[in-house]
Amino acid sequence: MAVLLVYFLSRKYRVLAVDADPDSNLADALGIEGYKTLGEIRELFQHSRDDFGTMSKESWLKGKIYGEVIFEADDFDVLIMGRPEGEGCYCFTNNMLRAILRKLMRHYDVVVVDCEAGLEHISRKTIDSADVILVVTDASRKGFKTASRIRELAKELGLKAKMYLIANKVREGEENVITRYAKSEGFRLLDILPYDEEVAKADLKGLPIPLDCRVAKKVEKLAGVLICEANP
Amino acid sequence: MERKKIDVKAIKKDVKEKVSVGEEDFPFDISPMYEGERIRKGEMYVELGGPKQPGFELVVALPIDQVEDMKVTLLGSDLDELEEGQAHPYAMIYYVAGSQIDMDLEPVIERRNHDFQNFIEGYMHLNQRYDIWVRIGKNAIDKGLRSLTQIAKATMMLFKNEMPFIEKIEALYITDGEIVEKLLKEYAMPIYEERDARIEALHDEDVDEFYSCTLCQSFAPTNVCIISPDRPSLCGAITWFDGRAAARVDPEGPNRAVPKGELIDPIGGEYTGVNEFAKEESGGEYTRIKLHSFFEYPHTSCGCFEVIGFYMPEVDGIGWVHRGYAEPAPNGLTFSTMAGQTGGGKQIVGFLGVGIGYFRSKKFIQADGGWYRVVWMPKELKQRVEKFIPDDMRDKIATEDEAKTIEELKEFLKRVNHPVVTGVVRPVDGKKITEGWVEERRVEEKVVEKAEVEEAPQVPTPSVSISPMPGIRLVIKNANIYIDKIVLRRKKEGEKS
Repeated sequence: MAVLLVYFLSRKYRVLAVDADPDSNLADALGIEGYKTLGEIRELFQHSRDDFGTMSKESWLKGKIYGEVIFEADDFDVLIMGRPEGEGCYCFTNNMLRAILRKLMRHYDVVVVDCEAGLEHISRKTIDSADVILVVTDASRKGFKTASRIRELAKELGLKAKMYLIANKVREGEENVITRYAKSEGFRLLDILPYDEEVAKADLKGLPIPLDCRVAKKVEKLAGVLICEANP
Repeated sequence: MERKKIDVKAIKKDVKEKVSVGEEDFPFDISPMYEGERIRKGEMYVELGGPKQPGFELVVALPIDQVEDMKVTLLGSDLDELEEGQAHPYAMIYYVAGSQIDMDLEPVIERRNHDFQNFIEGYMHLNQRYDIWVRIGKNAIDKGLRSLTQIAKATMMLFKNEMPFIEKIEALYITDGEIVEKLLKEYAMPIYEERDARIEALHDEDVDEFYSCTLCQSFAPTNVCIISPDRPSLCGAITWFDGRAAARVDPEGPNRAVPKGELIDPIGGEYTGVNEFAKEESGGEYTRIKLHSFFEYPHTSCGCFEVIGFYMPEVDGIGWVHRGYAEPAPNGLTFSTMAGQTGGGKQIVGFLGVGIGYFRSKKFIQADGGWYRVVWMPKELKQRVEKFIPDDMRDKIATEDEAKTIEELKEFLKRVNHPVVTGVVRPVDGKKITEGWVEERRVEEKVVEKAEVEEAPQVPTPSVSISPMPGIRLVIKNANIYIDKIVLRRKKEGEKS
């Protein structure tokens, strides 16, 4: 889903794809390797910062991110967050990271952040400057429950982002369940993406998703809709 | 090391030279808005320095009569002659002068080249010193950028605007590979090395001001981190030099200059300026701080410290444990338990939070014996700081391999004849500060009459005058204790308590 969005958006816009899931699914799905994660660089910094003499720490950190973490694909850039912080105090490091990333992000037209399924990124407000938050669920009770909780949390925290529901991997006959759930919760349902044999196969073989499959076509349309939603 | 201007005529050979003096208008935008811009491979016109070509940047302080203001000299090919899409060698040397400028300010100014050049539209500057990596975007060329002399002038203009103490500035830019490599090796490297060596050798007494850090005051409101050449921040992130550079850029920011004032205690590291600052910043909570003392007015501990020191009265020595060691220390407490008691910006006698960098300090808890009072640290931590431990102490400090409990530690210390056993002589002034263990001291029946303590007592500097009592620690705070009579009686055999 996120992969396809990145592909289609990057045809028209400057895109930064951020993988905020410690399992780094997005990197695999995009077929990129040979990158370092932000987490790795952060640890390297924590362990070598006593040896910088009169050198600038911020400049060192930024150089590593721009030079070694950001992966330049043909049409877009990718940033993998990697593992969360280890032991120790990260006040100083994270302060610098935030400043560096904030300055980096404003030079892209679109930043797509692929979050881990769950509440972590919402509760830690790591995505509080998002324009649009897409909550992706399948047609399961567990998926619905999480979606509802994400929505409540976002409300509690006063996030300004527009929030939409997208149903993914939906088999025939399940559409009703989704629409009923969305209606009862007052969730704006943006689209229902069908379960696609082709996507599942590509995923198993570790191949990129074919851009002409049914799901891809739908996401392409979605990309257009989202751009309008984010820039009213 | 004396600073000299590079003799361009002597190294020039048959390389092209372009000279331009004075202000000019720029065809590109200059604004902080462009900071962070990342020029992708496909968008770049040329790459300068970076992983494929040599490059460096250097700021050199010179006497004012040797610097020709706003002059730039370019040695080698200019932008229109450099092959598009390729990487090329690049050196940027700035001569600066001003009544407040000396060699020590060079690296503070040099760091800003990165910031200022990134204000230039279509120009990306990464890294520092000999790692610089620059990309110039096609968009800048389209806008009318023609020469590196324009880049040099824009940068010099920003230097003068943002750092008004720079009275004169001159630039030498080089794109000729041979010259870049030669100057990097013979001119720039010795200066970089000298700077780092100077910082390493710099002590509290060599400077006029220290720096504060209040980055973590949101967690520890009364914490006052004082960063001196001999004492980095507790979190390990900020050195005196970092503080200095930050305070120069943003004097009202989280790192502020703290004038030292009068020296009150040279061994403990107490200064009037630091005391005044501490009083003000902690809201009157603390009025005295000794930078290099463990027991007397120690530095406050935030929550960020990398290592915590703990006093063990049973052996009259100090142990240290770092955040990564999850087991209990010989005193039976884990890092997190001790950190919970100490953190939050409190001044607690018997515990002290420090950054790992403090183990490098020549003044490392010097008032209390320094390394000669250290009895235990986890193996991982000991290995990390091993080269800073004096040779004669290296084998006398136990790790978890030798001792996990106080009893094991006692055995070990006795076996290696650790200074705490016979009494610690602190190296700084040769004074004997502990008496050593008094073996098997018999506690005879004693009657102490009319011991009276009027004021809230200072927790005394622990030494062996406190008899070793395993398992008991008394923390008394803000207490007034009046005692008319204390009777200590040894329990007789078979007597029930």
